[in-house]
Amino acid sequence: MLLISAFATVVFHRQRVVALLMISVVGLMVSIAFTRFSAPDLALTQLSVEVVTIILLMLALFFLPHKTPKQSSPTRVIRDIGLASMVGVVIGSISYAIMTRPFNTISDYFLANAKTGGGGTNVVNVILVDFRGFDTFGEIAVLGIASLGIFKLLTRIPVFKPSSDGEGRPWALERHPVLLATVSQSLLPLALMVSVFIFFRGHNLPGGGFIAGLVTAVALILQYIAHGVEWVKSRMNIEYQRVVAVGLMVALITGVASWLFNKPFLTSWFDYFDIPLLGKIELASAIAFDAGVYITVVGSTLLILASLGKMTTSHRPVHTETI
Amino acid sequence: MESLLAGCIGFLTACGVFLLLRGRTFPVVVGLTMLAYAVNLFLFSSGRLTLQGAAVLGTTETYADPLPQALVLTAIVIGFAMTAYLVILAIRARADLGNDHVDGKLPENESSRKESR
Repeated sequence: MLLISAFATVVFHRQRVVALLMISVVGLMVSIAFTRFSAPDLALTQLSVEVVTIILLMLALFFLPHKTPKQSSPTRVIRDIGLASMVGVVIGSISYAIMTRPFNTISDYFLANAKTGGGGTNVVNVILVDFRGFDTFGEIAVLGIASLGIFKLLTRIPVFKPSSDGEGRPWALERHPVLLATVSQSLLPLALMVSVFIFFRGHNLPGGGFIAGLVTAVALILQYIAHGVEWVKSRMNIEYQRVVAVGLMVALITGVASWLFNKPFLTSWFDYFDIPLLGKIELASAIAFDAGVYITVVGSTLLILASLGKMTTSHRPVHTETI
Repeated sequence: MESLLAGCIGFLTACGVFLLLRGRTFPVVVGLTMLAYAVNLFLFSSGRLTLQGAAVLGTTETYADPLPQALVLTAIVIGFAMTAYLVILAIRARADLGNDHVDGKLPENESSRKESR
């Protein structure tokens, strides 16, 4: 299935919408593979990122041509196929070679210390927010920077406004489907509840800040799709740049707070495990860091998609002439 | 099982590289997304494959390697940010330059064909 859909993406890459559908199938298959090989956290993340990516690419297609003109000569295509398959064979055999070798993992340390040192039983999440917290902090910083860069790139864009799709049909004006609007509105609190649930179980069961953030972002984006940018903006007037900044600050403050206990940056939570009463407090600091991750993910995902989506609607030219 | 996954990784890489070599921005973005899948699977597989062993303490006897999983989890999100940035760059390039070729201008033979039309 993975192979078929990947192949179909290549075959249909000229029909861009079809290619998009195909690559979403690839993403879902990857997520199933993660589930099969016992990585539930990864599967959840992949699933929600997949949704966001497809929405993003769909929006992007509004600005880009829908079809790729045929332009490569046959010799060039053959050369590219040869090159690509060579790379593929090399990578495939390297990965096969790695997977069949015996190995010594350093993860036994994490497995042994996750409960006592990090206070959680989901080792993946404990590694993210605790053992390698500094990594995660850098990573959400990258996410925030990328979203701010996108916001900046889009603000002064000389807007290229397509008023019709590739075949000359005009885009429908803002008419939001009633069914979707109603359902999504009642779905929002449910989705938010699910994301909070995922967030809090993250330390002990699959879940965590990243996944919860993505679920929240997807739920809010559904509101944008169902009601339009203006509707959401009139009800929830938040600047997402601020949200990103708040998320980063929460994570940073959590890290800096450990200095008050004379511990290195971002380490306070796994040093008190022998005192039962303070055990709760140390757990809370990991959750605060995860909350920073959560807020940053929500903020930057929404910043990216909302600023792109805003362009597709508010600047949309009114197509008056009849066809 | 290992050979199947290795084959999938290889094939995904091949498809990604082929799409990367196309001349328009959208296939390049899609190709990069596919390469990102391949890289994620590759990193993940370096922790070896384990069935029924999610790295949640107390549920099973053998655990999957949690370290690559944690690294890949961040890689997925970073990959999304990178794809988004690339898409916006493509849109910006289209808006500024008027076409979506990766070189910023259409190749000679095509633009002359367009003029003659």
